[in-house]
Amino acid sequence: MIDRRNFIKWAGVSGIAFSSAGWSLLAHADTKTASSTTTATAAVPTNTGIKGRVVVIGGGMGGATVAKYLRLWGGTGVDVTLIERDSAYTSNIMSNLVLNGSRTIGSLQYGYGNLSSRYGVKVVKGEVLTIDPVGRKVALAGGASYAYDRLVIAPGVDFDILPGLETAAAQAKVPHAWKAGAQTTALHNMITAMPNGGVFVMSIPAKPYRCPPGPYERACIVADWLKTNRPGSKVIVLDANPGITAEVNAFTDAFNVVHAGVIEYHPGVSIASVDATTMTVNTSIGNIRGNVLNLIPPHRASKVISANGLTNTADGRWTAVNVLSYESTTAPGIHVVGDASATTQPKAGHIANQEAKVCADAILRLLSGRAPDPSPHTNSACYSPITATTASWLTANFRYDATTATMVPVPASSGEAAARSSKNFEEMGKWFTALMGDTFA
Amino acid sequence: MKRRNILCVLACGLATMPVIAQTTTTAPPAGRLLASNCFQCHGTNGRGGVENIAGKSASEIVKELKEMQQKSPPKMMDMHARGYTDAEIELLANYLATLR
Repeated sequence: MIDRRNFIKWAGVSGIAFSSAGWSLLAHADTKTASSTTTATAAVPTNTGIKGRVVVIGGGMGGATVAKYLRLWGGTGVDVTLIERDSAYTSNIMSNLVLNGSRTIGSLQYGYGNLSSRYGVKVVKGEVLTIDPVGRKVALAGGASYAYDRLVIAPGVDFDILPGLETAAAQAKVPHAWKAGAQTTALHNMITAMPNGGVFVMSIPAKPYRCPPGPYERACIVADWLKTNRPGSKVIVLDANPGITAEVNAFTDAFNVVHAGVIEYHPGVSIASVDATTMTVNTSIGNIRGNVLNLIPPHRASKVISANGLTNTADGRWTAVNVLSYESTTAPGIHVVGDASATTQPKAGHIANQEAKVCADAILRLLSGRAPDPSPHTNSACYSPITATTASWLTANFRYDATTATMVPVPASSGEAAARSSKNFEEMGKWFTALMGDTFA
Repeated sequence: MKRRNILCVLACGLATMPVIAQTTTTAPPAGRLLASNCFQCHGTNGRGGVENIAGKSASEIVKELKEMQQKSPPKMMDMHARGYTDAEIELLANYLATLR
């Protein structure tokens, strides 16, 4: 067992932060990250006068950003510990391009070494067991314990289990691949194993789900690849929503024109059950069979939220927060950013980064006896590949509305590209590199 | 003043102080949080990313953003620029100009 004080002592004595094989691999990931980003190192100030202990659970887009900016803006007096169970973050953004073989999962991995070496974030690899909101402590599997003045949880989402997919074997046959990683590579392999004239069946859960344009983008990427490589194949899209939820013009054009004859889009479809043996989906429009089934289940905040009694929305799935600070509306001192929180903003990596900056700024003000910024502004932006060489884009700004206490979209700044283009596809790569740099470098 | 009275004065004073008050810090720079909306694409502190914006003058940034607001059909940044009021543009430009 190692307590926080002894852990720091041990880490300091060891000379390097971590020495396990896992962290050696992480160092490799950091080298790749550093070489692929152009963000300059920013100094951590020493003279802000702000003091406090902040523990961050989860090293994704929200968690990594909040940890970095707490130090960048708060300085050396703000003790930041980031607890993450994986050695590196695997980006969901761009992971649909693993499906057509143009990217690998390895190219989407980002380590935590920069947060540690450049910003002085204490990175701890571990699994959170319990959160004590009264004693303000986080306990890890293995016994380590971390005290905090403010806790930030950015754990992302978990997925419901669709009826019929209760076993691990069934889940392996029907991957959702909506958390990038081994399932993404498995789905790529399933697509390449399809015969000519094969059927790829995918489903989209009802809102809110992670990355609103993402499933439509996936349908396009898969259709584009099948058209060339497995002639006569089809992509059947079963959408629980009444219509396309994002980039309506781009995806309507993609489904009806660009990929006409390949993509069959069915809105308003619910799934009753799945038979992984016969590869059949029982739906509100009948039984549909496919060579590959890629069903994305409804989402909920990751288990660390529900297991610690931090879900507080009517549907029991998310944490409602004050969007001035991302502090839970029911658990003082505990902030939730990114996909696990219930706000009017989309669940997506680009805006999770900005929510994290609002949260970091608010925590630093709160530690200084000040109130959070009363008028925060956030933005969402992303590119969506329509083919292997063209992309569309989507952007929106959100501004705090004091009357409703929510972030409301600014209409003039919310919209999509006039048309897909290869220029957009090129810009997508630059945007992604910049975003990951602001988050992890 | 006797020692006991000093303690009393201190105790009474402390009792009226807000629990979280810490008055030795300076307020965060105006416009910093707003300007951080630029950093996802233009790099942390406006350095790197798709285009370096650190080092530009405030007037240059204001002029560019206002021009973008008028461009049609809007590219992504043109549409993004439409999300800020004149006052917000001044505020974030003034902060970005300090990052030279």
